Amino acid sequence: MSSPEDRPRSPYDRRTTVIARTVTRLVVPITLMTAVALLLQGHNLPGGGFIGGVLTVAAFVLVYVIFGVEYLVDTVNASGDRLVGAYRALFAFGLAVALVSGLVPMVLGGEFLTQAVFFIHDLPLYSELEVATALAFDLGVYLTVVGALLVIIAEVGYE
Amino acid sequence: MAEAAAAVTATGIVALLTSGALVLSALLTLFVGYRVIRGPTTPDRVVALDTVATNIVAIAVLYAVLTGQGFFVDVSLVLAIIGFLTTIAVARYVTDGDIIE
Repeated sequence: MSSPEDRPRSPYDRRTTVIARTVTRLVVPITLMTAVALLLQGHNLPGGGFIGGVLTVAAFVLVYVIFGVEYLVDTVNASGDRLVGAYRALFAFGLAVALVSGLVPMVLGGEFLTQAVFFIHDLPLYSELEVATALAFDLGVYLTVVGALLVIIAEVGYE
Repeated sequence: MAEAAAAVTATGIVALLTSGALVLSALLTLFVGYRVIRGPTTPDRVVALDTVATNIVAIAVLYAVLTGQGFFVDVSLVLAIIGFLTTIAVARYVTDGDIIE
């Protein structure tokens, strides 16, 4: 790692072109927003936890490919092992969320993974909000997919 | 969102033009497939595969316009992002030899 004075502009601007870096800065937020939109509409439209997670990982892969594997590690100011450990924890947390979202209906007297839809009326600004309990399971799937794929990508990147 | 879009199908000149564009895109994808299989060098295949991805995005959007089924736009959005990422990854592989460094 060079000293801060003789860095060109960013230590990660190595072999990628300025076109690739600019397009990445534009595309990554759009990709993440699309991923969240697909996650939220997944209970009654195409989308859901899996494709939302895959798109989130696609944004991460774009950052990894263009800026290198050290960029994310230096940005969050942690070691690579700790970052992979955080991905593993995300994977485990997602599995736990999915399992708990399946077990909660059993506590309330239903079958495993029973889902319901609530409509909250008379809200300010929204007036009516649709709350689907399938979103909790979708969130678990999302976190599991993001964690698992990021562990794979990061481990392959460090090879 | 989907129930509002389900009723709007293209009619008249729009339907004609959209159908023509669909046939054109499908034929183009077929011809580009020849370049994917025969293409003498790897960059030929990469450009051809990128064109296939772009054409599939176009076909999805045109089909959404023709039938009024809005979720095909979601399909095209996801396909466009994945196709873009794939092209960048393969280009890195061809030029540098490793994708993530």
